[in-house]
Amino acid sequence: MVATLLQIAEIYLWIGAAVAAVFLVWGIDRVEPNAAGAYVFRPLLIPGILLLWPLVLWRCWVLVRGENEACRHRPPRRAQHAVAIVLALAIPVILMGALLVRQNRPLERPAELLAPPAEAPAAAPAAPVAPEAAEGEAGQ
Amino acid sequence: MSVKYVPVQWNPNKYVYDAVLLVCVVLYIFVFLELGTADASVTQPINGAIVRMRAFGSCAFLMLSVILAIGPLARLDRRFLPLLYNRRHFGVMTFAVALTHAVYVLGWYFAFSPTDPLVALLTANTAYGQVLGFPFEVFGIAALLVLAILAATSHDFWLSFLSPPVWKSLHLLIYPAYAAVVAHVGLGYLQDATNPAFALLFGGAAMAVGALHLAAWLCCPAEPTVADEWVAAGDAGDIPDGRAVIVRLSPSERAAVFRNGRTLSAVSNACAHQNGPLGEGRIVYGCITCPWHGFQYRPEDGCSPAPFTEKIPTYDLKLEGRTVLVRRTAHPPGTRVEPTPLPEDVA
Amino acid sequence: MSDAEDRSDPFFIGWAAAPGRLRPFLAGVGLCLAVLFGGVGYIAAATQADPGSGSGGRRETAIGVLAYDPYPLLYVTESERYPAGHTLLLSGNAKFGVQDRASALDGRLVQVSGGPVSRGDIDMLRLRGGTNGLSLVEDAPEAPPVPQPVSLGRWRLTGEICDGQCVAGAMRPGTGLAHRACANLCLIGGVPPVFVSTAAVEGEEFFLLADADGGPVTDAVLDHVAILVEVEGEVERRGNLLVFRIDPGSLQVAP
Repeated sequence: MVATLLQIAEIYLWIGAAVAAVFLVWGIDRVEPNAAGAYVFRPLLIPGILLLWPLVLWRCWVLVRGENEACRHRPPRRAQHAVAIVLALAIPVILMGALLVRQNRPLERPAELLAPPAEAPAAAPAAPVAPEAAEGEAGQ
Repeated sequence: MSVKYVPVQWNPNKYVYDAVLLVCVVLYIFVFLELGTADASVTQPINGAIVRMRAFGSCAFLMLSVILAIGPLARLDRRFLPLLYNRRHFGVMTFAVALTHAVYVLGWYFAFSPTDPLVALLTANTAYGQVLGFPFEVFGIAALLVLAILAATSHDFWLSFLSPPVWKSLHLLIYPAYAAVVAHVGLGYLQDATNPAFALLFGGAAMAVGALHLAAWLCCPAEPTVADEWVAAGDAGDIPDGRAVIVRLSPSERAAVFRNGRTLSAVSNACAHQNGPLGEGRIVYGCITCPWHGFQYRPEDGCSPAPFTEKIPTYDLKLEGRTVLVRRTAHPPGTRVEPTPLPEDVA
Repeated sequence: MSDAEDRSDPFFIGWAAAPGRLRPFLAGVGLCLAVLFGGVGYIAAATQADPGSGSGGRRETAIGVLAYDPYPLLYVTESERYPAGHTLLLSGNAKFGVQDRASALDGRLVQVSGGPVSRGDIDMLRLRGGTNGLSLVEDAPEAPPVPQPVSLGRWRLTGEICDGQCVAGAMRPGTGLAHRACANLCLIGGVPPVFVSTAAVEGEEFFLLADADGGPVTDAVLDHVAILVEVEGEVERRGNLLVFRIDPGSLQVAP
């Protein structure tokens, strides 16, 4: 499952690499006038294209069709306000949750004997390997 | 504002900004690794790799908290606006610090095992049903991915190519990313920290970010929207020379009515660069100047002076007595509209 | 824009020199940031928790009898560092167990070599690779008998399940939630799980974990590693090592 996910991510990035190559060599001059004659900055765009190539293709499509101008001056103000307020409310919730589940250490809990040993072994305490025997073996 | 893109556009203010940033980061890492850790009370030294991942991780969190505080601070007090000017360099540097943290984690906690580190990262802990013991690493991965996307799209090319609203929407991901980072630390390191100082610092920073956003929201209520074709922008005498009033035309569209000497002009309130609030700017050298990055436009036609090529929409204006009225429908960007003379009785 | 206005409400333009009135404010902000970063860095570092007393040492060699279940153990018969009769947990170097090498050597007299780690009652040897780390003692007579498990009764204990290697000092800290995934990786790799109890049984706080039948229990405990849990099971003594044969069904987060 995870291996498949990683493989999909790899394929995604390879497609991104192909898009980056075509876009930076050929496409960018058609959709971005300020990029004409500017080449040194182009490698800087590669990481963005690798990560966001579907968005790059969509924007190319929009720009080539020229349906872009009107909405350029309508910032997502309401979305920004909403997301900022949600963040402001989420932070105390996350912090409280994290502190509530926290186990304060050191936690002192007694060991509870539920049932004593079935029968006391005759040779208790445990018999380690007899030192004499060990030495005897070591002599081999 | 470039006519031709360059890899990084620097100027003296940006040099100072970046130098201060660099000093802060180097200071943090140095103090953490060399001074603070030496004073920690330990029986045996903490592993170097673990100290380093903590240093870079906590530094990235602090940087992100400061970045998120800049916006509301600048809303509440305009003197903080210069901090907003070069915030993108701040963001890229934060990504670099966060990435260093991730590399140390991968190279220590997830290395030296029979499993590939990336696979191990996603498979070693799969207790998604638990809160305590939740694989908090996924929050960190999500936030790092967002930081990567934002850093990778920080060049001005992306603003122009994606258009400012799309770029801004993409960059709003920083908010869920910050929440993810709070969860990452809250369900991870915070659970292990025995000294309350860390909880106070971490919780304090996160709560401060939240409180600043609430304060900025409460201090700047949205203006009501009027449905008429002509929208009132107030008394002509209330507009100081070189300044503007902002009129809300629809939930997403605002116009800025500027006074330039004895004339009035209305343009879009959204800068063509990053949709900065032009109406909070000034007229400098005869041009409307954006308070965020200093992009400039002529009041009468919304065009940047040559050699720059940015354009913003313009609006028709009329006066009813001393009341300024703006026509709701915008002209295409760069359309010349003859400036409206101020009434005689306005000083 | 008049000079008077400029003085009362300075306007910053990124590409122009900063207004004179704004400079002291901006210098103050820069200084505050530097103090903030230096101060937070110091406090965050100086208040790091103690990773405990686990520690490593120079390479050691020992001869003894290997027991395969629940996790590879060595009952020492001869060593410079460990007394005869001492029980050593065995793992590989890094996040590897030694099950593959040990499976054919159960009950045989072997020589082991590797880096020791120890904490409290836990002694572990992180074996070198291949036969350099674990090899049969050739021409040995029959291996001496290993100590028989002695039951200490059924207990309910509260504590943390860790990987034996890291808790004993291979990583510092080698416990806690930040280290949880790393501990799981060690356990999945075959490193013996160790239970660190909040209270001692017969004076000992560290237990090797096994399932109720005395077999390996790794898969059943992975979701409960690195948090304080309450669990029931039989405690038995094997040499100087306590083994906690838990009933995984009784595992629960410590209330």
